[in-house]
Amino acid sequence: MNTVATASTDLRDLYAKESASIQEEFALTGDGKTALARRTALVESLLQRLWNDIVSADEAGPKDFALVATGGFGRGWLFPHSDIDLLFLHANEARETACRDTVRRFSQELWDLRLKLSPMTRTLAECEKFDPNNVEFAISLLDCRYLAGDRELFTRLREKTIPRLVARECQKLVQNLGDITRVRHQKFGNTVFHLEPNVKDGPGGLRDHNVSVWLALISAMEKLAMWPDPKTLLPVTSRRAFDDALQFQMSVRCFLHFRHGRHDNTLTWEAQDEAAARKIGVADLEVATAAEWMRVYFGHARAVHRVSLQLLGEIPAAWSSLSRQLNNWRSRVSSPDFSVVDGLVFLQKPDALQDPEMLLRLFHFVAEHGVKLSTTTEYKIEQVLPALAATPPRGAELWLYLQETLVQPHAAEALRAMSALRLLPLLLPELKGIEALVVRDFYHRYTVDEHSFLAIEHLHKLKESKSEVDRRFADLLGELEQPELLYLSLLLHDSGKAVPGDSHVEAGLQLTETCADRLDLDPADRETLRYLVASHLEMSAAMRRDVFDPANVKTFAEKVGAPERLKMLCLMTYADIKAVNPEALTPWKADNLWQLYISAANYLNRSADERVHADDNSAILTHLHSLAPVAGKKINTFLEGLPQRYLRMHSVSDVLAHADMAGQLGKDPVQLSLKQVRHWYELTLLTADRPFLFASVSGALAAWGMNIVKANAFSNAAGVVVDTFYFTDRFRTLELNIPEWERLKQSIASVITGKADVARMLQDRLRSEKGNATKVRISTRIDFDDTCSAHSTLMQVITQDRPGLLYKMCSQISKHGCNIEIALIETEGQMAIDVLYLTANNAKLDPTRQTALSRALHSELESK
Amino acid sequence: MGKKGITGSRLHKRPDPYDAAARQTNMTKLEAIIQVSKLDAVKDALHDVGVEGMTVFEARGHGRQKGHTEFYRGREYTVDLIPKVKLELVLADDMVEKAVGAITTAARTGKIGDGKIFYTRIDEAIRIRNGDRGDAAL
Repeated sequence: MNTVATASTDLRDLYAKESASIQEEFALTGDGKTALARRTALVESLLQRLWNDIVSADEAGPKDFALVATGGFGRGWLFPHSDIDLLFLHANEARETACRDTVRRFSQELWDLRLKLSPMTRTLAECEKFDPNNVEFAISLLDCRYLAGDRELFTRLREKTIPRLVARECQKLVQNLGDITRVRHQKFGNTVFHLEPNVKDGPGGLRDHNVSVWLALISAMEKLAMWPDPKTLLPVTSRRAFDDALQFQMSVRCFLHFRHGRHDNTLTWEAQDEAAARKIGVADLEVATAAEWMRVYFGHARAVHRVSLQLLGEIPAAWSSLSRQLNNWRSRVSSPDFSVVDGLVFLQKPDALQDPEMLLRLFHFVAEHGVKLSTTTEYKIEQVLPALAATPPRGAELWLYLQETLVQPHAAEALRAMSALRLLPLLLPELKGIEALVVRDFYHRYTVDEHSFLAIEHLHKLKESKSEVDRRFADLLGELEQPELLYLSLLLHDSGKAVPGDSHVEAGLQLTETCADRLDLDPADRETLRYLVASHLEMSAAMRRDVFDPANVKTFAEKVGAPERLKMLCLMTYADIKAVNPEALTPWKADNLWQLYISAANYLNRSADERVHADDNSAILTHLHSLAPVAGKKINTFLEGLPQRYLRMHSVSDVLAHADMAGQLGKDPVQLSLKQVRHWYELTLLTADRPFLFASVSGALAAWGMNIVKANAFSNAAGVVVDTFYFTDRFRTLELNIPEWERLKQSIASVITGKADVARMLQDRLRSEKGNATKVRISTRIDFDDTCSAHSTLMQVITQDRPGLLYKMCSQISKHGCNIEIALIETEGQMAIDVLYLTANNAKLDPTRQTALSRALHSELESK
Repeated sequence: MGKKGITGSRLHKRPDPYDAAARQTNMTKLEAIIQVSKLDAVKDALHDVGVEGMTVFEARGHGRQKGHTEFYRGREYTVDLIPKVKLELVLADDMVEKAVGAITTAARTGKIGDGKIFYTRIDEAIRIRNGDRGDAAL
């Protein structure tokens, strides 16, 4: 007893002295690998001494009982505060029973030495059984290593038992390992890019390193029925990056354990500062700041994460039947350029990536189908990048591919893949600064680039959400005319955080301008992008005020100015908050955001009647005059008396074009322009105002089979109307027959001048389309508001959308002696939402006329 | 009623929340429900009088303040419970009056919906980091 007691004291002293020496050496060198090797050797020598003292003086004895290192200890990775995984292996139950006291004493001595044990006791037969509730034990055996006792017993475990277990249970092992890993990744938001990452359990951390090796080992062992050469487990191409990452992460985890004095693997900000100052893991690199050091960290983590995800996806035995079905489905999306095998994209022609366009199409494909790139494809991309860097794509063609990619449902995944391969900063250098950038604040959880990708992802996910609150925002997203601009603005909105200074918004705006130049955006789109980046914090700020106070709503709405911008800003705010951290967008905040949106939207509709005066000193008027100095008087005449809303809804180039058309009215009293704009056609009419005008044009378009999705009607002080109709060509008349463009315009001009009978035209059309069933019934609702305008009565009509609706409605309005001063027409699915400012005899509608009009409209709109 | 009646010493008086001697502890918890738009002003005002620790909750509620209904595209959106902010502060008794004054001044608009402040006595407070108790933990 005394001998053992003295031995314990000696061992304790030895352990303390050696541990201190290891810590001192690490403090000097920062070399994690050496620290782990020394600590492993130290604990091993302690165990062997104790074994000799308590179990058997003969290191190779006793028979049928062995001490085995498993888990991290088995790998030779004993971190300063990690548990020591030990297996007391017995040949059979009788042996186990006989050794129970010995094992207890042995364990007690280790506890007395303050070594954190994680002991297990098993017989050889038990080791061969697979317990689905304890997969970790089976996995820990993959790292087993002999320490003491019956070597022959250990050899049977390693050379027979484990290979048999793996051969029999390969699929379950891999499946369970995959499931555990996916749950763990999910816990960390499936991203490497945390501001304070966990170097062991976080995605791309040491655990992912282990998982990768285990998956490869199980797969190889299943094929070979024996232990493979560990050097051949991973592909040659990823081995170097993997090993470099391991070295780095070993050093980081050692540093954290020594620093915290306990098993804490979180890289806090303070730890990052110290790690950078001490150049932990980066002795050979020029790393000056914590942000730069973290970039190195993320680079390694990303490499490990990539390999682990590839291995999880590539090993056939890992698939559940559901994921097999999913991957089979994904395989069906192969195209002439790309094939999809097991959910991974391969190039049909490996050299095709010499063409930059093919590269852009590849990522569009990824964004469209949510597939991942195979390792082979990734390496091909890496090979072409240097040539691409010399002449990167830019201009309208780049924007064409980019916008098509951004609107796809898996755009965020494509962006992450592009970022991981360094393609994204090559195409958009404006994003280089925020790559893996850690900006410290108490709210954000992710790096700046990951925050932007997440924001885009959250918007795309709105479509699938079942939450009632999310459905509202999803409907808004569906109404956007140019969602690609919103996504681009989300990509750029925090780019300014890479620039030192007080305001990331100002810095971000400069980067946005550069990006807009690079993509050759047209002026209107550039202005929208600029607006969104400049104002991305406005709605959050407005939410901190009383969202029910009309004065606050007015201030905010007037700042925004236009409904389309309001929608985009609302969605941007939703996405920006939601991407801060998983809890940031509380139901409370989401409700407030929605409340502010609808109040501001209603205000904008009710304030459309404020008029432009040509002698106003506004920036936009000054800008217009600067662009067309010769046409100054013509512009003034045209703009005088038009609603302010007109200027907010039309780009500067459109306004100048309209002013020019107005100048031509002397030659031709009906000026029409027809063009195709993105998803629909745009017909603009300038002519002298007259009764039934808006109804006539609406009817003519409906008679041609066009579906009016949106329309605006404005008139100026000179009585010239500017009516714009946005419509879809239901029967592809214009798309398939170019001459029909001119015929449509002539038909409309005939209707306007009274030469054609629009009622008859429409009747023929509606007769031919009778019987089309409506999917959703919308009740008609008509509201009047006399207070929001000084000159007009506002009428809002919500009703079932149908062919000829606008014609019928506006005909009734004209029949009741009302003039449409402003019309704001929109559709949302099968719902028509029409806001009209009406006058009768140049005054607001009196109550009698309102009632009569309402009755007539109800009757018209509710009749079959 | 007998001659003796009830002596003054046996009268039950309502304890004065500011009379430390009559209470077992000298800490008070304030719960203040205020308008969202007043949060920054109230935080600044509390900071100015030396109060730096507080907990803030997102809340909804109403008293006499009516709800709000907005129509948007034919749908009615009714908010019966108005968004509010609730602050909780635990203070030494000698700070309570100052804190109440700061909150009231910063949060008041004079209209319905300004909010309310509630007091509760605190039996004990402990600082987790070092085990300090009572006032020392505040």
